[in-house]
Amino acid sequence: MPEERLWKFRKPEWMNSATARSAGVYSAGALFSLAFFIMVDAAVWSHSAKNGSDPPIHINFVDWLPLIFSSLGMLIINSIEKTRLSADSFSYSGNGVAWKARVVLFLGFASLAGGMAGGVTVLVLKYIVPGTVWPTLSMGVSNVAANGLVMLSSVVLWISQNMEDEYSYNLAL
Amino acid sequence: MTAGLKTIISLSFVLAIGFLLVILSCALFKQYLPLLVVATYVLAPLPNWVCGRCANPDDFVESSSNAVVDFGRFCTGFLVLMGVALPALLAHSEIIRWAAALMSITGGVLIYGTIIAFGMFFQEESEF
Repeated sequence: MPEERLWKFRKPEWMNSATARSAGVYSAGALFSLAFFIMVDAAVWSHSAKNGSDPPIHINFVDWLPLIFSSLGMLIINSIEKTRLSADSFSYSGNGVAWKARVVLFLGFASLAGGMAGGVTVLVLKYIVPGTVWPTLSMGVSNVAANGLVMLSSVVLWISQNMEDEYSYNLAL
Repeated sequence: MTAGLKTIISLSFVLAIGFLLVILSCALFKQYLPLLVVATYVLAPLPNWVCGRCANPDDFVESSSNAVVDFGRFCTGFLVLMGVALPALLAHSEIIRWAAALMSITGGVLIYGTIIAFGMFFQEESEF
């Protein structure tokens, strides 16, 4: 449908191949795993013998909360059927499915952004304001890094799922 | 057939070297946590297989079956990176040494490479 195109730049051809799509999904899983294990690494390090912070600072539930929210947001965003978002399709606009999808998607994005903001909040309030130095500070930095990686992973997953739609559309014709 | 035989022999050698590296990384330092890497890499192709069975490959118009396949791929990607991340995590907290972590990562990659190569060489073509 070239006349319905919105953007000036068209998608490159290689992005519609099935190989690029599955590579995208694999790398989304790898990125999410990296995020999760950065956070686990911070928690394990905080309770190991290497953590020598003088007033002892440990990872507790507060540090995990942003990651939980980010992961929840990612789950919501990527569970939504993307084709229901456009109200152009006649059969789905009747019951307000597109509207519902947009509300749920907004909740998902809000949760994802809230997780990112929460990570920065934990970094500032728990680590920077009390004036901790580097090896202790790395726990807060890894919190922000983990949330950023969850965001990146959900972007990659979103893009590769949209690729899939184009791909199956071409196949169906 | 001889080519298949050679492949089997070389793959089993690589698998044995991988297991040797992982077990050595545990036994040399009397700390058996890196054995988890083997479990991770053996489990890694499993979600792909299970979800590939669940999905119906005939209807590619309905995207709900593709979602199952994508979920399996996501889990596989998660587990593969977990195999690398777990020894690095343990070494960072000085539960194991960096040498042990390096050995178990190398061994794990060899084991997983064997599994993947085996699946690629001897893929059943029984689709009808």
